[in-house]
Amino acid sequence: MVKNSKGIEVAQILQDKCIACQICIGECPVGAIELSPEGVAHVDAEVCIGCGKCQESCPVEAVQFERARKKELSREERGMPPVGIPGYDGVAVFIEVQDGKGVQVSWELMGKARELADKLSTRVMGFLLGEEGIARIAQDAFAYGCDEVHLSEHPVLEGYRSAPYGHALTHLCETVKPEILLMGATYLGRDLAGIVATHLKTGLTADCTGLSIEDKTRLLLMTRPTFGGNIMATIYCEHRRPQMSTVRPMVMRLPERVPGREGRVVLHEWSPPPMDLPEIVELVGDALEGGPDIVQSAALVVAGRGACDPQAFHLLQELADVVGGTLACSRPVVEAGLMPYERQVGQTGKTVAPKLYIAVGVSGAIQHLVAIQGAEKIVAINPDPNAPIFKVANVGIVGDYARVIPEFINQLKHRMGA
Amino acid sequence: MHIICCIKQVPDTAEVRIDPDTNTLVRAGVESISNPYDIVALEEAVSLKDRYGGVVTALCMGPPQAEVSLREALSLGADRVILLSDRAFAGADTLATSYTLSKAMEKLSREDPIDLVFCGKQAIDGDTAQTGPGIATRLGYTQFTYVLSVDWVDLQKRQIQVTRKSQGGREVIRGSLPALLTAELELAVPRRASLPLLISSLQAQVEVWDARSLEASLNELGIKGSPTWVRAITSPPARQGGPAFDVSREGDVGAVSKALDTLMDEKGFLSKLLRKWED
Repeated sequence: MVKNSKGIEVAQILQDKCIACQICIGECPVGAIELSPEGVAHVDAEVCIGCGKCQESCPVEAVQFERARKKELSREERGMPPVGIPGYDGVAVFIEVQDGKGVQVSWELMGKARELADKLSTRVMGFLLGEEGIARIAQDAFAYGCDEVHLSEHPVLEGYRSAPYGHALTHLCETVKPEILLMGATYLGRDLAGIVATHLKTGLTADCTGLSIEDKTRLLLMTRPTFGGNIMATIYCEHRRPQMSTVRPMVMRLPERVPGREGRVVLHEWSPPPMDLPEIVELVGDALEGGPDIVQSAALVVAGRGACDPQAFHLLQELADVVGGTLACSRPVVEAGLMPYERQVGQTGKTVAPKLYIAVGVSGAIQHLVAIQGAEKIVAINPDPNAPIFKVANVGIVGDYARVIPEFINQLKHRMGA
Repeated sequence: MHIICCIKQVPDTAEVRIDPDTNTLVRAGVESISNPYDIVALEEAVSLKDRYGGVVTALCMGPPQAEVSLREALSLGADRVILLSDRAFAGADTLATSYTLSKAMEKLSREDPIDLVFCGKQAIDGDTAQTGPGIATRLGYTQFTYVLSVDWVDLQKRQIQVTRKSQGGREVIRGSLPALLTAELELAVPRRASLPLLISSLQAQVEVWDARSLEASLNELGIKGSPTWVRAITSPPARQGGPAFDVSREGDVGAVSKALDTLMDEKGFLSKLLRKWED
């Protein structure tokens, strides 16, 4: 135990556990804690009054404090019901629409919402916005497990624009009061989620890879990669509703589609407040730039730093053709200007979950690996036997791709009976 | 034109990781840098100032040592820099962060009305992309995220046109000022600091604003104003790898053959491949 000159026990920060979240700095009633230049919390021993608040608030047990504090009884121990905010109920999914159809990530989330709702013994809702006639998409939502679709129709909602969508979705949340709201972490979803969370003054956790309900508290536990994928943080939002979370495409499993499954459609009147609406002057489709969507492809051949050579791409494309897949890449290839960003797999690119993932000259940095967790089979081809990609690959070949791939194509064609 | 650019100081995330044996954070040698997307945003802000005239004010919320990022901003062409630093700001999530930054912008706007706000599309430590939309919503500014280029600004008509990434492609969109833009890496190529600016940036006095000077409500700042909390920190889940065959030992033919044997070991894998994955 470390004491200061007044004989008070001083909190000790465990340097290698501190994540510099600064929560203790905000909690300390006497301002005794500062962030050191090394980026960890530091306690001024002479200012510290030994109250132990920092230890209580630390999310990672980085504060050592021996003297036992008067223990605060949990709600359960006090015989109170678990938290939850009265009036809020149900798990909602924002149904994103593109080209007149619900996008797949919305249905993936519908599956997750079903699981969470069953745990909470509540219902699954879809929130839908668009021009008149958008209600037709409700049938798809029901087929993927949704119980109720709440929607607002208005000519202004034809085509996405931040402000009217932000206003309309906020209005749906205020009217229907869901306990949880899930959205796809797409360009649209990420643009919209921050607006709605700010209007509602609630918590929003981006790019979650895990969502579950904590038994005791009924809280949504949201796990997400942070620090570039090197660390997973589990986040919760206790006092505000809805608990909001975005999830990238291909992270949750697409539930089974049950055609003919029925549900209820509820129309909510909404009209836009007076606002200066931005005007979309022109739309340019991806098809003109990045080619096929790597997220939707069942097989990917991925060029990494070790295959960062336009000469290699013909060979890789040939392999992609044989396995019925698409050519993709890791970050260095995009940075070298050899492939468009749309083809990039990784924390700063896209998350993918193909049936077959062939990594060619990809070393397997953590930022890349977090985005391929859902791949069924990973094949790695790399000359460096110590490349981290081999630790996660189902099968690896240590060697030069320029020699390995022609042989690979040859034998594969033979086995496929060609 | 009055342009604001928000800058965050972040740990160089490629270096931060958890030691799997001890489950503790390995931070040896991890440096703090300015968020790269913010530096791209700053470059665009400064080049718009060069084109249309005006001033660029850089804002950074963080502990006192974050002033390093603001000196960098000065060296890259910002005219004025302000550090938002107060214990009351500590532990902020994105909701509290957007509140604090928007209070600072309200104050700046009273001195000289703001036309444009730039943020990076996201910060590389948290990757949330939430603070920009949060500020735009609080201030009621037109929001353009994932901006690839600023096509033009018309200060007479109070209009701006940008090209931005959107689902399924790109869109060219125009709207009213004031507007908030978040920058993709493609937006600009950051310049190198010139020697005179570098020297003057090191000598400059960095303004520091605290909670009181923002006239902020204490309940909306820092940890008190943050609805999300961290419950636990863990290592990313590990995936179990399989065998690797070395061509230097097995030969090209042997290594590929064994690799394919392993792959085809799963029942039905070959037929899925033959059906080109359609099921």
